[in-house]
Amino acid sequence: MSPEEPQEAPAVPPPPGSVADVFAAVLPDVKFQAAQGALDVILTVDRGDVVRVLRAARDDPRLDFKYLRCLSGVDHMEHGLEVVYNLYSYTHKHNVTIKTRLPQDDARLPSATSIWRGADWHEREAAEMFGIFFEGHPNLVPLLLPEDMTDHHPLRKDNPLAEIEVWQAERAGLAAAEAGEAEE
Amino acid sequence: MTVEQEHGLETLEINVNVGPQHPATHGVFRMVLTVDGERVVDLVPHIGYLHRGAEKLSENLDYRQAIGLQDRTEYLAAFNAELCYVMAVEKLAGLEVPERAEYIRVILAELNRITSHYMFMGAFATDIGVFGTAFTYGFREREYIQDLFEEVSGDRMMYAYFRPGGVAWDVPDNFKERVRWVCRQTRVGISDIDSLLTSNEVFVTRTRGIGAISPQQAIDYGLSGPVLRACGLRVDLRREEPYSIYDRFDFDVPTGEHGDSFDRYRVRLEEMRQSVRIVEQAVDQMPDSGPILPEKLPRRLRCPPGEVYMRAENPRGEYGIYLVSKGGDKPYRLKIRSPSYCNLMALKEMTVGHYVADAVVILGSIDIVLGEVDR
Repeated sequence: MSPEEPQEAPAVPPPPGSVADVFAAVLPDVKFQAAQGALDVILTVDRGDVVRVLRAARDDPRLDFKYLRCLSGVDHMEHGLEVVYNLYSYTHKHNVTIKTRLPQDDARLPSATSIWRGADWHEREAAEMFGIFFEGHPNLVPLLLPEDMTDHHPLRKDNPLAEIEVWQAERAGLAAAEAGEAEE
Repeated sequence: MTVEQEHGLETLEINVNVGPQHPATHGVFRMVLTVDGERVVDLVPHIGYLHRGAEKLSENLDYRQAIGLQDRTEYLAAFNAELCYVMAVEKLAGLEVPERAEYIRVILAELNRITSHYMFMGAFATDIGVFGTAFTYGFREREYIQDLFEEVSGDRMMYAYFRPGGVAWDVPDNFKERVRWVCRQTRVGISDIDSLLTSNEVFVTRTRGIGAISPQQAIDYGLSGPVLRACGLRVDLRREEPYSIYDRFDFDVPTGEHGDSFDRYRVRLEEMRQSVRIVEQAVDQMPDSGPILPEKLPRRLRCPPGEVYMRAENPRGEYGIYLVSKGGDKPYRLKIRSPSYCNLMALKEMTVGHYVADAVVILGSIDIVLGEVDR
């Protein structure tokens, strides 16, 4: 069976009175693309606005998103890399998903660690897995992967499983050869 | 003035490496402690020794095959992890779950919470030095429930029993009697553990005031589950955003006051009692017969394009599945937001300033599962 063409989800506008309207009221000069996801409202913003939006999301009492649930990277291939923030407010009990797209060859984004300390390991993971550089992160070194695996970003779609195995075999062979030389 | 200063003695900071192979690290976790005498002044955690690339592997398996990877990620509460994953797929695929299957899933997930907490009780008491007794008791009790899991799913740990839309096959005929029996046993088991540990002087002295974290810091670090509730926040996803059929049960959300290791233990102990309550109510309400999967289930399950961040209250905290579909029969992207990974971020905050011997207690009190930290 041939691999299927990736399809994009149709954008369904969020219902009136949702958290998207609150964001629009708090930050009238920021351009939001709002859509209703399966559970939460999804807001897509330009990367230049991300820090402003996130800071307002945490600090504005109408939004009050004190809890960063999750931060993920997604590789959309020719449509760029995506960084996704899932937020929750303990006081208003509402959710929001904030997303931004970055071009593959210039994947830089200001770090959210100064807003939520919980962003720390999530950003390190996204950095090693997708090659996203989080500017201002205090310690952006590999977390789950080996220290020397900086040239491959395993979760990018241009790294199919087999290629990672080839890379590992090459390294294993290299290490074995080095060990052999040392013995001789 | 300390003794050292009084006598003009200088202390030297030294680095102590703990792990990755160390009995107190609950798996392959490594931390480098910087100690000044007996005090910890810095801590650097190192993870990734058990990283198996579950997220990448899931992208290459179809929706049903990827269930097995959830078991291997969160191996102490595999039913809970499976439940979160299949709910995410159901949300995207728009599947309706039959009533009976919902009850089976909730019963098994809550029993799994109890076995996970038994494991915590045993391992935590061993970390502290109340050696052996609690561990043996906890594991004996856990075994009763584990037997039930084996009867239902055919496996002790890697169940792979839940399916998008329901469960794989029906439960044995005597399921309800078995669950009721297990509940009676568990009530006794919980009070055994309670009387062994809660007023045990060694246990209380070693845990009270150790590894405390303030509610503000806990929220800032994104902590969840018993570690967060021990700080006094009454936050439980089964209550806040009831998923599955949790809105039908009557249960309390226990909280602590000081956010220390002792409160984390107490919250978990009380949670076990609440889980028994939920299971008992669920068994009473569960229909005796009925379908366990939707009638029209395609052989090849496809999700329409879309995305969902599904979250569920697991024994260790909020388990999240961020699932992106672009059509087709495989996840386009699957991110696992594992609770002990996020809780572990606060380890340094909790440990610095305490004795080096308490570092092990604090690590134990977070209740990490390395399979789920490293994925």
